Amino acid sequence: MGLPILWLAGAALTSGASGEGGLAASMLPIALRDTGGLMAGVGALAGALGLVAAWLVTHYEFPGRRLFDWALMLPLAIPTYLAAYCFTELLDFTGPVQQLVRALTGGVTSKDYWFPQIRSFSGAIIVFSLVLYPYAYAACRAFFLMQSGSTNAAARTLGANGWRTFFTVTLPLSRPAIVVGTTLAMMEVVNDLGAVQYFGINSLTAIIYSTWINRSNFGGAAQLAVTIVLVIALLILAERAGRRAEAQIVPRDSRVAAARVPLSGAGKILAVAFCTLLLAAAFGLPFGQLLYLASRRLTVASFELTAAPLVTTVTLALLGALLTVAIGLFAAKRGLGPSRPARGAIRLATLGYAIPGTVLALGLLQPLGFADRWLNGVTRWAFDWTPGLVLSGSIVALLYVYAIRFLAVSHSTLHEAMERRGRSMLDAGRVLGSRGLDLFLRIDLPTLAPALLAAATLVFIEIIKELPATLLLRPLGVETLATLVYAKANTALFAEAALPALAIVLAGIVPVILAARLSARRPS
Amino acid sequence: MPISTRLVGTLAAATMLAGLAVPAFAQSGEVNVYSYREPGLIQPLLDRFTAETGIKTNVLFAGDGLLERVEAEGELSPVDVVLTVDIGNLTGAKDRGLSQPITTPAIERVPASLRDTDKDWVALSLRARVFYVSKDRVTETALTYEDIAKPEWKGRLCTRAGDHAYNIGLIASRIELWGLDKTREWLAAVRDNLAYAPTGGDREGPKNILAGTCDLSITNTYYMGVMLNNDAEPEQKDWANAARIIYPTSADGDGTQVNAAGAFIAKYAPNAENANKLVEFLLSDEAQKLYADQNYEFPAVPSVSPSELTLSWGTLKPSKVSLVEIAAHRAEAAALVDELQFNAGPQN
Repeated sequence: MGLPILWLAGAALTSGASGEGGLAASMLPIALRDTGGLMAGVGALAGALGLVAAWLVTHYEFPGRRLFDWALMLPLAIPTYLAAYCFTELLDFTGPVQQLVRALTGGVTSKDYWFPQIRSFSGAIIVFSLVLYPYAYAACRAFFLMQSGSTNAAARTLGANGWRTFFTVTLPLSRPAIVVGTTLAMMEVVNDLGAVQYFGINSLTAIIYSTWINRSNFGGAAQLAVTIVLVIALLILAERAGRRAEAQIVPRDSRVAAARVPLSGAGKILAVAFCTLLLAAAFGLPFGQLLYLASRRLTVASFELTAAPLVTTVTLALLGALLTVAIGLFAAKRGLGPSRPARGAIRLATLGYAIPGTVLALGLLQPLGFADRWLNGVTRWAFDWTPGLVLSGSIVALLYVYAIRFLAVSHSTLHEAMERRGRSMLDAGRVLGSRGLDLFLRIDLPTLAPALLAAATLVFIEIIKELPATLLLRPLGVETLATLVYAKANTALFAEAALPALAIVLAGIVPVILAARLSARRPS
Repeated sequence: MPISTRLVGTLAAATMLAGLAVPAFAQSGEVNVYSYREPGLIQPLLDRFTAETGIKTNVLFAGDGLLERVEAEGELSPVDVVLTVDIGNLTGAKDRGLSQPITTPAIERVPASLRDTDKDWVALSLRARVFYVSKDRVTETALTYEDIAKPEWKGRLCTRAGDHAYNIGLIASRIELWGLDKTREWLAAVRDNLAYAPTGGDREGPKNILAGTCDLSITNTYYMGVMLNNDAEPEQKDWANAARIIYPTSADGDGTQVNAAGAFIAKYAPNAENANKLVEFLLSDEAQKLYADQNYEFPAVPSVSPSELTLSWGTLKPSKVSLVEIAAHRAEAAALVDELQFNAGPQN
């Protein structure tokens, strides 16, 4: 699992410190500035949106709250690159919004009236934040639900109003949850390739890509990739610290259920307006855009175009989810043991989530090729038969990269579930004479079932959305929905890809709803 | 714990088998293609090839990274033919030992300057890197490459990322023509004349000319034809109609920079014979006519003429800088783009 990272580190070291286009590259300062700016902007905006939304749905009662409770997770189904294409299509000069502005103002060119440029740095921050705030929302929401209602109740009995309670009690207390949520969002920012390329932002990932592809400079790309791993490591440390702090803060006192305060008047209107606008902007707009574009060209050809990649994508996602959850379960079980090397190994293995798909593909292409050649050498010698590229030229490479990239998702979900479950039930089972398979089937599986399902659905969504690694590692003739949409969008034919894009979002929605439902049940 | 170990083992074995179940691609009657070119442009050609020869084509399209992949796959690679969109990847493939000589005599149909001396690659079509200027806001009918570095173009230029193969080709040709120092000066001035940091592909330029955010876009010729005839996305017709093409020259009289899309046959091609048949077909009058009439490129075979639409844009006088010379300066060009931080947009 740690293979790509170690391989890249090796390549980075052997290519020399002054490798041209590598660490010494003059684009590195710009890449760091752009990546840092993007992370800070998205962290702040997505964090704020997620926090406020979570605070509203967990602390207050207002019309539509039950719907918003899970619907606010929906933007998670829209990959960042799709969001970038959709918002550009909508808000660019030739899009419907500016057409309306021109019709109203009588303007002819963009110099005749003011309109923000969507394909810009601030445009990117807004687009990223709109589809990534659910990470902050989910973390804060779960935290609020687990939190005792007593601190808020205490603040209110001491005379603080809703706003004051929010700023003096809720906000400081929920800092760890915000940190967890925003770091996840920032990791997505670092990982993204499609959107930053489309917006013309020189992020680290974009620079790595062009160093490798446009300059054919593997060593330099590897050096940059190692830089990115360091950035990620910082994020992970922040996330870990957040989680640790979270664990120490006021565990829920089961006797005091957090009561939701019914809102009235202006508060009610504000709460409903905030949630409605957020959902409309983050999900309604891009989803509606796709629906409109797809419905305009509902032809047999567009279905034919979509059908085969859809089957491929779902198959890959199912296999990948199964594999990744199985490995995650194994790792989570090992991680609970006392062995320190095991924990270190798991940390290395789960680092994959934070590493851009481009970087993983970079680190996998060569070693898989070597392994294939070695394998074929062996079989040729033993059986006079060569199976071909069984690793790098088949879906094995894809499943492998998915497992690396999303192991952290399944591992952390299962790890948390196991820690919460504790050992007592397993011990009870052992005392009653159950062992091995029996213990696994009768105690492990049933008690972990919701977590296993949640982990599998999360991985499933991620694989459907995954673009950069799939693009570089897919076998001959394999086209997924994501690669199809990318190819079309990059040749300015996005509307033709509306139906497959819609399929990505729809496939992602089902598990989002499922996962949201499951997590809604958890705290009870 | 042993259960989950076993589970992982079983799954790993299952995926290995899934890998084995993928059909071997080295079969007669097939040819495997890795294509840098967009499928929409290349598929009609391949369909025609299959219809005529009965040889099935399997295509993997990726805008980037195919050479890296061929290299990693080594002697087990299933690929027979790689289609590229610029000269750099053709000479790059030969330099990295990924190609083998093309054996079909059809390669002689293109002039010697459009094929490798060892026949390791061949150009299939040519495209010029030209200026698209606003019909409304630009009055000039002729421009030199040097002109767009002048202060009157401040805030009026646009193009895609400087390190994209198309712009690298243009910059590399300037290095051959002018030397490194003059090119650096020119590129820095062009960077400072940009209306915004480079984004998108070649079609964004004309789109932004329509929008009024830019007056001159550095774009390849054939996009004009592709956009004017784009019935799938009719709004692109408006983009194209906002602009007209100027074939730029150099102040010293040198002509317009030309790049080539081409093909090479992979060193370990399992279907080398079919690969040669495909190259032969792509060099036939019929296929060359398709390049000209459907993709609005300049055919590499001189006896086939460009489409009437292409000819209506003016007369192309190609630069004397050869494809091989352009390829030789690629690394310097890329280093210059980095050094000047071209992709970060205007600085002064």
